[in-house]
Formats: sequence, structure tokens, C-alpha cells
Amino acid sequence: MKGLRQVFRELVKDPMGRIGLIGVLLLILLAVFAPLLAHYSPEKMVSMPKAAPNQQFWFGTDNYGRDIYSRILYGARVSLEVGLISVGIAASIGFILGIIAGYFEGRIDRIIMCIMDILFAFPSILLAIFITAVLGRGIENTMIAIGIVNIPVFVRTVRASVISAKGLEYVQNAKSIGVKTFPLLMRHIAPNTIAPFTVQATLALSSAILTEASMSFLGLGIQPPDPSWGSMLSEARAFMEQAPWMVIFPILFIVITILIFNILGDSLRDVLDPKLKT
Amino acid sequence: MRNYVIRRILQIIPVLLGVSILIFAVMKLIPGDVISGALGVEGSPELRQALTVKYGLDKPYHVQYINWILGVLHGDFGDSLRTSEPIFPEMMRRFSVTAELTILGALISWIIAIPLGILAATHRNKGIDRFVRVFALMGVSIPSFALSILVILFLALVFSYFSPLGYVSFFENPVKNLQIMILPSFVLGITIAGSIMRMTRSSMLEVLQQDFIKTVRAKGASERITIFKHALRNAFIPIITLIGMQIGSLLGGAVIIEQIFSLPGLGQMTLTGINQRDYPVVQGCVLFIAFIYILVNLITDLLYAYIDPRISYN
Amino acid sequence: MKKCLILFLSLVLVCFACSALADNILRWGFESDPTGFDPHTNPEDMSIRVMNQLYETLVATNPDMTYYGRLAESWENPDEVTYVFHLRQNVKFHSGRPMTAADVVYSFERILGRTEAGDIGALGSKSTYYGDIDTVEAVDDYTVKFVLKNVNAAFLGNLSSNYGAIVDKDVIAANGDLMRADGGTGPFMLKDWVRDNNVSLVKFADYWEADRVRLDGITYYVIGDESARLAALRTGEIDISTMSASNVPIAEKDANLKVLSYQSNQYIALGCNMSTPALQDKRVRQAITYATDREALINIVFSGQAMACSIVPPSLGHWSVPLDELDVYHTDVEKAKAMMEEAGYSKTNRLSLKVAAGLLDAIRQSAVVLQQQLAEIYIDLDIVNLEQGEYVDTWYKMATPEAGFDMMVVQDGAGTDPNRSVAFFFKTGASANVFGYSNERVDELCDLALSTPDPDIREGYYNEAQKICIDDCVKTGIACMTMYYVTSANLDGFAPTAADASNYRDMYFVK
Repeated sequence: MKGLRQVFRELVKDPMGRIGLIGVLLLILLAVFAPLLAHYSPEKMVSMPKAAPNQQFWFGTDNYGRDIYSRILYGARVSLEVGLISVGIAASIGFILGIIAGYFEGRIDRIIMCIMDILFAFPSILLAIFITAVLGRGIENTMIAIGIVNIPVFVRTVRASVISAKGLEYVQNAKSIGVKTFPLLMRHIAPNTIAPFTVQATLALSSAILTEASMSFLGLGIQPPDPSWGSMLSEARAFMEQAPWMVIFPILFIVITILIFNILGDSLRDVLDPKLKT
Repeated sequence: MRNYVIRRILQIIPVLLGVSILIFAVMKLIPGDVISGALGVEGSPELRQALTVKYGLDKPYHVQYINWILGVLHGDFGDSLRTSEPIFPEMMRRFSVTAELTILGALISWIIAIPLGILAATHRNKGIDRFVRVFALMGVSIPSFALSILVILFLALVFSYFSPLGYVSFFENPVKNLQIMILPSFVLGITIAGSIMRMTRSSMLEVLQQDFIKTVRAKGASERITIFKHALRNAFIPIITLIGMQIGSLLGGAVIIEQIFSLPGLGQMTLTGINQRDYPVVQGCVLFIAFIYILVNLITDLLYAYIDPRISYN
Repeated sequence: MKKCLILFLSLVLVCFACSALADNILRWGFESDPTGFDPHTNPEDMSIRVMNQLYETLVATNPDMTYYGRLAESWENPDEVTYVFHLRQNVKFHSGRPMTAADVVYSFERILGRTEAGDIGALGSKSTYYGDIDTVEAVDDYTVKFVLKNVNAAFLGNLSSNYGAIVDKDVIAANGDLMRADGGTGPFMLKDWVRDNNVSLVKFADYWEADRVRLDGITYYVIGDESARLAALRTGEIDISTMSASNVPIAEKDANLKVLSYQSNQYIALGCNMSTPALQDKRVRQAITYATDREALINIVFSGQAMACSIVPPSLGHWSVPLDELDVYHTDVEKAKAMMEEAGYSKTNRLSLKVAAGLLDAIRQSAVVLQQQLAEIYIDLDIVNLEQGEYVDTWYKMATPEAGFDMMVVQDGAGTDPNRSVAFFFKTGASANVFGYSNERVDELCDLALSTPDPDIREGYYNEAQKICIDDCVKTGIACMTMYYVTSANLDGFAPTAADASNYRDMYFVK
């Protein structure tokens, strides 16, 4: 098991890991300090509609005359918030269910895995759309929907590592000397799941952000006036030619965000799980 | 092997049952109802009542569910509340579009991804490898809707090109059909090419490092034979699994692509159904897509078991 | 990759070759798939653009809101409640069967639910439309007599609506209804309908005015995305489509395209759910109206191409009371603030309201702008964009707490007659009075006006009713939009008006 510090050190050594780390850090800074960095309120109609990028409006203005630069910053907030919370939901539920399924096996395992198979039987975007159709739109429901969709991957990842950890000698030993179930799980088994779990979480973050953008693009995710890159893009579609900046900046930020999370996820995997290193 | 096949097929029954119950329950929880949507602004309460009875929406839920499933087993998915037409034939027509899009998308992604993946592996850390890795990373990171918009905008502005309208099936007019399908399939293919490329590259690398390849090389086989005859066959196992899994994201991606390119596929039918609160249509489409998805996974699993002799069937 | 590009470019060339083979078929770009073609039961916009080619009515509306005979050659009015129509003798249904007085009688019995099919949910069955008809009878093969229960000054106007189309009963007998069938007499016949893709019509050779029709057919393609429709127009893939004001400048720059426009009778309005306690306070409702800056909204949402309007838009001509006579429509944020303060609201005690909006661009964007404008007067709007089904469902419930919304942004059609724009929306219990408005004097004036044939006296009644409704601010009119069509430059013979925007029978391509 590698300590956190060592993981970090190895990550920084890898050029891709550095790019990923710095990128994610920058993104988080942008999101956290959005109110300080933004020039205007993201909802305020401050100018004539569809002004081209200029000194005052760095990324131009949209069809309502709102500052796109400020909206992009607040959009980063929305993306990260949806990503973190939905992955948080999926990861915590997935972790608990995965530990239970993997440790106890038997009937409870079969039931949990059957439910996961059912959730897995849908293309993820379809399931997310389907769930928001029931819950209604808006930021909270989007998070819940994306969270539910992502549960099965976590359950599978955690379950698989729990099962392999159970076979490890020291776990067997601990069990035979009578360590109770809960401490056994927490102290000896859970640490083994951390590596694949972290890699999975980073990758799930990028797919959650992507799903949010897709859903908002279809009009099913974040609702106005909350700025979301996906809904900014879908709004911009009608003005592609007159105001290409309305299209280009949201696309740029969606792609870069997903890209840096993927880069970070890849190098994390290389560091934590050298078996897969290529 | 036979036991494994039978057991694997039996395994999908509870999943299908669970999927159908989940879909039905979700549909019942949806706010708003299609009858209001269908009646429009000026419908009367009496008519509303009559329609409710006609579509069996007044019966208890479990009766509605059982009626639905019994119908489905006979290929009867009920009638659309909007059009009063049977859903199944329409769904089949739509499915042919989605299937074509998915298959073309998959083919395009393989044509792009597999050779590039192999090249990257055999030229590790050279220019081509770097290009492939960057390309693959971009491929996984660009959402299909963003790519579609960029492609449409670029072609319209630079070439004044626009996908022809009016979908025709391949058998009716193959040339026009391909003209219509090429762009959406290309976009769909690109979005999954990235991950296939990476998988091809990494599993090729893994195989190339194994002892038996060294043996083959030592025996003096040419590089071409080493790669194509020995390495590739082994590298294909994980690729096939990934391809199976990708069919799911292709089906999901098709929902969005069909919307942007106005293709009359299953995904568009589902979204329209959701927008119109057409319960039977959404129920039918989602169940059908899930069924196809489960089927593809099953086939992938069986294929995997067939190809990889190391797998144990217990 | 190179091969891909070559393949691609050659496909582009093939495509150009194809589009050069233009024939005499009009290609229309639709925003969404039509829902069906039964003119008596379907009010949906795309379907109307198709149905108006398939079906015809007894009379039709001129741009100046007077009427001319279409299937009826002439009519007379022996007394105030009797109308006798003389039908054209050379009209045939698409089946080839001649249309006679019996078909007119059947059509109205179907609308009124008096056939064996019973109530079919016809849109015109209410008293605001044809509900006032007492009897319809065929005097002879080509003469029909309508007798009304009451004097109804809006009767001819109602007859010109597609809700009163004359239909072929044999087709209904064979198909159950007309949602997918064609039982009309119009200039074009339904050939094929591929769901979510296209609807094709062909010219009806035996049309009674066949010489007038110069197109061989019309194909409607569904292209949901406006920018895609615009691209299709520019590359010559389609010949005509509607366009929002913001994209009109691009079309104007293109020499191959032409822009047509008309002042419509569609207007955006903000309605208050009268079951919400905060909105029962007239000061709050009036403050909202005072705080609405219509010009700013029109600049943003309609690129300036709309007219500020009340609940009877200017396209209704003299029936509409001009805005400068209406005090509440003079934007005055300070006054609005003062009224809100008087009603007990302040910076720290803000009023939160849930607003229902829809997916239509005009509705969706207006809601966003209103949200900004009302924030100034201590009101926070929480917007939910509803899908069509939910939207209509909510619309019905907007007078009750069950709606789940305090306000709703709507796009209403004011029709061509004040009976529709005032009584239909504001009379107690009228079918479109969804916000629960009720005012005895308005009810009285609506009844008086309907039974008064003298247009000047009617105008007086409607003006008074209109002013009461406007002052009560239960529904605040905002903007009445200009509608745009973009067509290819060689398409001629199309002149859309608020009265009739889907008359395509005179269109032709200039060679």
C-alpha cells in the first residue's frame, strides 16, 4: 500500500500527472473564486445581446446580453458541484454496497448484484434522462440521477477488490485470530479497495461532468438562469453563425475539463495500479 | 461450455424482469399525464375520463403491469397515446435506423482505432504513438454533441455542405441513405474510437511483452507474422470486451446524435415520448433498448468465453 | 484519414448534383413533427400548416378581417340568427366524390358531437365557437341553413377557423378519425407521413380551383434545430421555413433567400394564479405590470421585432385599445417598488414566486428576462421550463394551488375577433380563462357584445371590458411578435397575414 505522500510524489514526477493535477487545481480555483474573478453577475443582462469578445467582455456576451466570461466561471462551479456531489453519492452508496456484497457474498451479494445488473442494463445517459423525467429537472435532481447511474461501477470495483483482499494471507490470519467483522472490514479490507476506488472516482468525475453537460444540452439538466456549459451551448446553437463565441467557449471549457480529469485519472491509475501500466 | 452458455442465458431473465419492473415503476412516478397533452387546450373532462378508461389507466398498477408484460411477450407494446398506432412496428422501423447508425459508428471507430492502436503499440514512444495517445485522449474527452456542432458548423461554413434531408432506408436508396448517415456515424464513431484505440494499444503492448512472443521472434518469424498471427489474436480478447461494452455507449450516444441530426431513430422516439408523456412509447422504447443492450452484453460474454480458453466456466 | 476526406468530398459533390434537380415540389422545414391531421380535434401548429392544405372551410378571412366565400360561393343572413350558404357545385373530396350540403351538415354534427361517434372532443364544440348552433340542415344539395340559438356576431369569423373544416364522412367511417387519413377538399392530398421525418402532399388534380395551384406537391421535413433549418435554406435543401427574429439578419444577407414577415396575433403574457395569496393583492399584480419593461424584453428576446401589447394585440386593429391609454403599461420601476413596499415587501422581505414556462424559445427567453426585471422590485422568480405535456396540464390548473406554480408565461393566440381575445380568455368560466379571473361587469359586457350586431356599440363594450381586465393585471400582456418566413428567392405567391398564414395554394417557383 502506498502512502498518500508517495502517490502524490509519483504523480508529480509523471509529466501527464503534473498536467492533470495543475489543471484540476486551476479548475477548482476558478470555481471557488468565481465570484471574485467574474466581472458581472452571471444572470445580469449587462450589455447589448451578442456583443463580440472585447476588453470589457472577454468572451463576448450571449443572446441576453450576459457576460459569457462570468457565466463560464460560474458554469465551472456548477459542473464541479454536480460532478463532486453526484460522484459522492455514487461512491458512498457504491462503497457500502460493494463492501457488503463482497464480504458477505451469498444471498445478499446476489441481490445487490442483481440490482446493479438491472441498473447496468441501460445505456447510462438513457437511464439518467429517464430518472430526471421522474424527479423533474434542476440541479439537485440532475445530481441524484447521475449519482444513481454511477453506483454500479463503484459496487463492482469495490466488491472485486474486497473479494481478492479476503483471500490475502494477513486478512485470513486476522480473521482466524478473531478480529470482529467491522474492524476487519475497516482496518484490513477497506484499504485494499482504495487504489481502484480512487481511480474509478476520478474517471467517474469526468463522465459525470460529461453526462451533466449532455443532459443540460438536451434541456433536461440544469435550468435557467443557472449557468451550465451544456445549457449555454444548447442556447448558443441557434446563434452559431452570428455569435460563434457563444459556442466556442463552452465547448472549449467542457473539453478541457473532461480532458484534465481523464489525464489525472490515467496517471493515478498508473501510479496506484502499476499492473495496468503500459 | 454448454452449461456456461445455458447459465448465462438464464441469468438474464431476472435482469429483464427487474428492468421491466423498474421501467414501469418509474413511468408511474412521472408528473403530468399524456392525456392532457393529447387533448390540448380545449378538451372536456368527460373526454379525459373516456380516454383514461380506454387506455386502462384507471386499473390498479399491478394489473396495468401484467397486461403490459403479457402484451410485450406477444410483440404487442400497446398503442401510442398520441397517435393511437401500435408501437411495435414503429419501434422496429426506428430500430433499423438506430441499428444502422450504431453499426456504421462501430465500423468507423474500428477502422480508425484498431490500426492506429496497433501502430502506436509497435512504434512505442515514437511520433505516431504520441499522436495516437493525444488523439485518443481528445476522442474520449470531446462530447458527441460538441463534436457534432463543430462538424456541422465547419462543413456549413467552409463547404456549404449540409446533410441531405428526408431519411430513406438503405434498401430503398443506398446512396442517399449513406449520404445521410455518414456524418452522424462518423461523429459517433470518433467519440468511441479513443477508448478502443487506447485498449488496442495497451493490450498489444502487454501481449508483445509476453514470453511466447519472444519465443516466436526468437524462432525467426517476421515482424509481420509475429504481430498479425500471434500478438493480435491474443490482444483481441480485451478489445472485444470493450467493443461489447461500447455498444452501450453507442446506443446512448445515438440518442443525442439522432436528436441533433434529426434521424428518426429509437433514441429520438424515446425523447419525443418523454416530452409528450406518451407512457407506452417510453416504456416500450426503454425496455427495448435495455433488451438490446443486455443481448449485446450476453453475446460479448459468450464470444469472450469462446475466444479465451483460459476462462473457467464455473 | 485522407481517403475519408476524399470520400467525403465526393459525397458533397453528389449531394450538389442531387439538389440541382429541383422539381416543382415545395420543401418546407418544420420545427417539430406534426401530431395528426384531424382538423376538428387538433390545434397544434405544425399540423395546422398541413391541414390547411388538405381541408377547407365555408368562408375564409381577408387580411382586413372581412370574410370571403371559399367552399360557399355566397351566403345570406335572412335574420340575425339564420345563415344560408350556397355551396360551390364543382367541389370534390380527394376520394373523387362531389361535396354536397349533406357533407357540411355531417361535418358540423361531428363537431357538435351529434353523430353516432358522440363527443369527439372537437375544439369548436364550445359556445365560444359553434356551440351556439341550434340546427344545421341541407335545404337542397348545394344549400345549407344554419340556425343559431343566440345572436352571435363572431359566427362568420368562427366558421373561417380550421376547427370548422368540411370533412368526408366515408374517410372517417373507414379510419375512425382523420389523424392519419385525409378526407378533405383542399388543393393538396396527403401522400405519406414518415414519423419525425417528413410529410408529403401531392397536388389534387380535381381541385375546384386547380388552375390556380402551380405547385405539384409539398414535402414537409422535420428539422428541429433552427440553425440547421437556416443552413438547409442556404444550401437549397428546403425552400421555406419559419425563422426567429435573431436569425433573420443572416437570411437577409443571402441573395438566394427572401424574408417575409407579418404582425401576428400571437402574444406573450404573464398570468397570475389567483389562488396564490400574495397575488390576490392587486397592488402586487399591478407592481409587476409597472415593473415590466416591454421594450427591453423585445430587444433581447425578439431582436426588437415585436410590438409591446396588452391582452388584445395591435393586429386586431380597432378592437385593440392603444397602450398609451393604459396607465399600468407605462414602465415605472420606482412606482412599482413603492407599491410593493406598501404591500409589505422590502429588500429583506422579498417575494418568491414559482413561474412555469415552456420550451418554446419566446416563452423560455421571456421568462428569463422577466426574472431579471422583477428582481428590482423584491420579487424572485423561480423558473421551471415544462415540457409540452406538463405545460398544458399545468395550464389547466393555473387557477388552483394544485398547479404548483404562482405564475405562468404563456403564448396566446388572440384570434381575429374580440370575442376570442376577450371573452375566450377573461369571461368567468370560459375555456381559456385558466387563471381564475372573474369580474361580473366583464361577463356582462361580453354577453352584451356578442348579441350586438352593431360594430360600433360592440367596440364600446369590448373596450370597456378590455380596460377592466387590463387594470386588474391578472394577465399582463407583454409582446406581440412579428412572425418571419424565410424562403428561397425564386419562391413567389406567398403572403402570410395574421388572419391566414398557411395559405400555400398560390405559391410558385419563378423559373
